[in-house]
Amino acid sequence: MTDKCGVAAVAEAESVDDLLDSVTDDGLTGYNYAYLDEHTKREVRRATLSAIALPGHQVPFASREMPLARGWGTGGIQTSLSLLGPDDTFKVIDQGSDESVNAANIRRLAARTANVETTTDATEASVIQTRHRIPEEVLDDDQILVLQVPITDPLRRVDGSDDANRRRHAHSNYSKMWVALYENVVEYGEIKLSSRYPVLVGDRYLMDPSPIPRWDVPKLDDADNLFLFAAGREARIYAVPPHTEVEPLAFEDRQFQVERFPEHACGNCGSEDTFLTEVETDDGGRVYACNDASFCEKRRADPSLSKAHHRNGDGHTWGPPTDPSVPYESDGDSGENRGPAGPNRGGDE
Amino acid sequence: MGYVAVEAGEDVIQRAEELFEKQRVVGESDQISVEQVGEQFSRLTAQAMSEGGLYAPRLAAIAVKQAQGDTAEAAFLLRAYRSTLERWGTSVPVETAEVFTTRRVSPAYKDVPGGQVLGATKDYTQRLLDFELIDDDGTDPTGDWDVEAEDPPRLRNVMEVLREDGLVYDPERDPDRDDDASSGAGTEPFDATREPITFPAPRSAVLQELARGETGAVTALGYSELRGYGQVHPTLGEVRTGDLPVTIEHPYTGDEVEVTTAAVTETECVVPIYEKSDDPQFSFGYGLVFGRNERKTIGMSILDAAIQLDGEGAAQDAEFVLDVVDGIDSFGFIEHLKLPHYVTFQSILDRIRSIRERSAAAADETDPAPQEVGADD
Amino acid sequence: MLNVSNATKIYGQSCGECIDHTGPAVGDNQCPVCGSVVACADVDFGLHDGEVLGIVGESGSGKSSLAEILALDSDATAGDVRYDAYDGNLLETDYQARHELRNEHVGMVHQHVRDGLELDFSGGGNVAEKLLAAGWRHYGDVRERVEDLFRETEVPVSRMDDATETYSGGMQRRVQIAKAIANDPGLVVLDEPTTGLDVSVQARVLDMFRRLQREQDVATVVVSHDLGVVRLLADRTLVMRHGRVIESGLTDRIMEDPHHEYTQTLINSAI
Repeated sequence: MTDKCGVAAVAEAESVDDLLDSVTDDGLTGYNYAYLDEHTKREVRRATLSAIALPGHQVPFASREMPLARGWGTGGIQTSLSLLGPDDTFKVIDQGSDESVNAANIRRLAARTANVETTTDATEASVIQTRHRIPEEVLDDDQILVLQVPITDPLRRVDGSDDANRRRHAHSNYSKMWVALYENVVEYGEIKLSSRYPVLVGDRYLMDPSPIPRWDVPKLDDADNLFLFAAGREARIYAVPPHTEVEPLAFEDRQFQVERFPEHACGNCGSEDTFLTEVETDDGGRVYACNDASFCEKRRADPSLSKAHHRNGDGHTWGPPTDPSVPYESDGDSGENRGPAGPNRGGDE
Repeated sequence: MGYVAVEAGEDVIQRAEELFEKQRVVGESDQISVEQVGEQFSRLTAQAMSEGGLYAPRLAAIAVKQAQGDTAEAAFLLRAYRSTLERWGTSVPVETAEVFTTRRVSPAYKDVPGGQVLGATKDYTQRLLDFELIDDDGTDPTGDWDVEAEDPPRLRNVMEVLREDGLVYDPERDPDRDDDASSGAGTEPFDATREPITFPAPRSAVLQELARGETGAVTALGYSELRGYGQVHPTLGEVRTGDLPVTIEHPYTGDEVEVTTAAVTETECVVPIYEKSDDPQFSFGYGLVFGRNERKTIGMSILDAAIQLDGEGAAQDAEFVLDVVDGIDSFGFIEHLKLPHYVTFQSILDRIRSIRERSAAAADETDPAPQEVGADD
Repeated sequence: MLNVSNATKIYGQSCGECIDHTGPAVGDNQCPVCGSVVACADVDFGLHDGEVLGIVGESGSGKSSLAEILALDSDATAGDVRYDAYDGNLLETDYQARHELRNEHVGMVHQHVRDGLELDFSGGGNVAEKLLAAGWRHYGDVRERVEDLFRETEVPVSRMDDATETYSGGMQRRVQIAKAIANDPGLVVLDEPTTGLDVSVQARVLDMFRRLQREQDVATVVVSHDLGVVRLLADRTLVMRHGRVIESGLTDRIMEDPHHEYTQTLINSAI
């Protein structure tokens, strides 16, 4: 993928001062392509392949220290940088926004070290790194979504020891998690979990889908794209490959519920099928608005735009309607053609 | 609109960085040089090197200056830099008895072979603010000493005395142990910077993570043992500081060549808890860190002993200690809470509202049906 | 339905001759050569559907080790155990098979409550865990089954959602029994079911279990140092000492006409 000119520059330095001279040059001279050395990138890719082979299973990898603080997307950026090549287009989202400072910082690192094109358009990107959201626009089979993960193991809600939990995963022993859900219902009448909702992947591994809202959880099931989950601080990578069954844990008579919103339309673009966040305004009011900022902008330009507008009539449902009284039917169709659009406002393009 | 999240991207980051840099230069005084940081704040650079896991005094001085004295940040800068370096080779293992010792005290014995070497220390100085430092003229207080400068000696390790008498447990000779500590000398140690640690972790991994641990965390967790949340109350065999020779094999001749030295602090302790009742031997603990940092090595030796005992105390649980001791991890994750969390918070708000509605409704009805929204299965 | 032969458990690095050097004939269960402890050795017995077998002996006789082996809570050193619900030697199961067996086919009531219950779960949650582990996914069904089990084991249903640590010792023992029978196992192992309980509570727990055992016709192994417990519950009894079975037979016969000198002492001292 790249030569090792950066490393060679370090190797040829005669003294620390020479080295420092080379580092203080413009940009990031003195560093390898895509920041990580090739050995590290290979190792991350190997872990990624293992993760894809065992959907939902947490694969340990030797996480490197990055020039970002741990807990700020270091697993995600290591994964992204190990995948990116000069022909890629990279998008970074933090809590739904391309413009949040941490997203900008990660995007800047990739642009400086890997010479990739960057974009804010989810349909344009080949690799999207995201913190806590899955984009509103349906992802394709040639796209990879890299999710930043703060806490890798859903079982840590019931036991702090990863050692004990690893054994539980090995034997699909998830009864303690189920008891926690049972006790939730006993205490509150429903399952109290908000984000980081535990899901069973491929009927085998219990997985923490990262702190995406419950709204986004159904998108993981039988998607066309690859989802990679990466935790730098905890040194784990896991994956949901395309068309993998992903099922949120719930009881037959206490079903999984997504977030509800008192107002069902975005205050900015009027969408009624997107995840909204509430905003307290300066004049003391409260407004609900799309969380996916770049899609909200598109919808403002064209309110009839479908979430699958770029997929040539393939209207894959991707996120439920905000009004719970509007029926949300998942498409049970198999294969590529997923039938008519469910909750999308406009027709397909 | 009214509301803009913490956004607007790279311009804002740039401005914020510039404001931060301004704090360093805005005062009236001259700029502090990297040399001054290295020579006059050696404890800061030592801490940055030990927590950063990179022995590079000059880089550490730059890091401390760049971080405006924040050691966690400075250690982080060194770690991030370190992870980009290619590994050219591995030095030859050395006995720490080879250290050119500038200070060595043995609390276990009144006198020891080689003697107690007090060296440079503030331990017995009364902690009074020294106002004369305001007009520090840089006079060498030892300038008028009438002693001949000697090369620092190499001193036999105090614990060897106990080891020769068979009084100290030796994990390398314990057939009941199956981790790498028992496989004896010559076994490649674990490399915590290249391999992910899983538990139970080999002792070499534990020692590496402790050696890179955050000084405050190592001190606090070690203290927890003394404070009654564990049983390890050690007697220190010795605490020593000095320069450890770094030896490599010559790439052409294969001869061992001493290339440099690294300033280190080392502690070994014995713990009067016996590993086995049929053959009573002291448990022990070991600590070694880059630079001068005695409390960290003592804390480290307590934690090493505590983890080897594997008992009930918080600091005796290797998984717990290693999960929380690393400053780069804890600093990053603690501070990430400053990042926007409005998506997750929206999800949390939804739950509490839903549950409150339910309990309000339960006052009227007996069994409200759960609202099933968006179940996709 | 259960056939045990040569069940043996040795703690320590055995010298290989421990069994010859220990036992009632020697008067000790610790090997004089290597210091290993022979908790139990050469234990043989069979158990029929719905039958209750008592194992009695003083502490250190090996009865609890035997119970733990049967409940798949600890590994045996040697032996062969055949059980209807499993195809093969029960002592050579892997973790996964063992996990499934313990969930659905073998119920254990532990002497120490912490071994049997999660004290910070609710009492109902502890019982529900068994059902959830066996694949129950309907909350209402789980609740209903747990309520039934609480009624059957005479635990107040009104306490079902309270933390188990707030229960009395007798209630905790009942919850363990409810948990043990939750998935209708073929075999239940009771380890010292009355130890630590008040005398009046002991009688009620035993009566409850005897009724339940007859109603459900579940084969049971009950381990106790208390002859009264075994007399009340067991059809047949093994007497253990120094890690060996020294006498076995119908419980009534053993109580009325003990053959072994030790059994005689045991019965006389109890009365």
